[in-house]
Amino acid sequence: MPPDTPFQPPQGAARIAGEADLVARTLAGERAAFGELVERYAPQARRVARAVLGDPDEADDAAQDGFLSALVKLGQYDARRPFGPWLMRIVANAATDRRRRRQVRRVEPLDPGLVGGGPRPDSEAVRSELGERLRAALAELPPRRRTAVVLFDVEGYSHAEIAGMLGIPEGTVRSEVFHARRRLRALLADWKGA
Amino acid sequence: MNEERMFDHRPDPELGAALRRALDPPRNDQGAFVGRVMARYDEALTAATVPTWEVLAGWARRGIAAALVAAVVGGFLLGRALQTPEPETFDTAMAPTSGPGVAALVTATDPPDASIVFASLVEQR
Repeated sequence: MPPDTPFQPPQGAARIAGEADLVARTLAGERAAFGELVERYAPQARRVARAVLGDPDEADDAAQDGFLSALVKLGQYDARRPFGPWLMRIVANAATDRRRRRQVRRVEPLDPGLVGGGPRPDSEAVRSELGERLRAALAELPPRRRTAVVLFDVEGYSHAEIAGMLGIPEGTVRSEVFHARRRLRALLADWKGA
Repeated sequence: MNEERMFDHRPDPELGAALRRALDPPRNDQGAFVGRVMARYDEALTAATVPTWEVLAGWARRGIAAALVAAVVGGFLLGRALQTPEPETFDTAMAPTSGPGVAALVTATDPPDASIVFASLVEQR
């Protein structure tokens, strides 16, 4: 799916019903239904995991862990609620777990210049300089702050939904988004002014 | 951007689009990612339904501990039961060691000696 035309699910009850149907079919053993859910939410899950982890390969591993964990826990999903926040909570947790394990392995802080994941011949061509600077700026933010701003400004989740995903009060989400925006907007303004 | 706008309750489309471009995975590997997840579909479900040896070992450890506790408690109760003499019935316990006994006292036509009744009341206090 092209990044500029992200999946836009139907809103409200229709969206919830559609997702609930896919979940029910997955629970009934229909593999293709789960495949459809993965296809729908893969770009979002990969972005959220990358916001937490920085490294794109590690983020993909975390996103995969998140999808498979969601598959196992699918019976716990409340079909009356939207699927996205439930899934993103699992993905964010999977990415956070990986980040914690990485911190145990690495004592030294991450170099923001390296969090792009090093050279990736298949993707270097499409990476703009602004993108690199934004990734570096994101890497300097505390993990919860960068996850909150990505979930809010990129994925379009509400403060309340993000609070549920990250397990923090709604007021804290607002504060995290505010501080992240202040840093990132300044960078964008510098970029446009240059 | 002023402080008010940064506290805006709506997503910032400009910042959102820039971040999306920065975080988006390469266009051409979305299918590969989905394939990679689906390749582990069966493995994930199997792992979720079949208990691993570690889980079984955990159950075994708990089972052995519970059996040990049950054996200790059972042994204690059995030992106590063997050492404690058979309890007497109420009538046996109340029966006087000499004299006509409780039944004779109840069925007697003559009133009991007042000094005996008084003595028994004093003993009960």
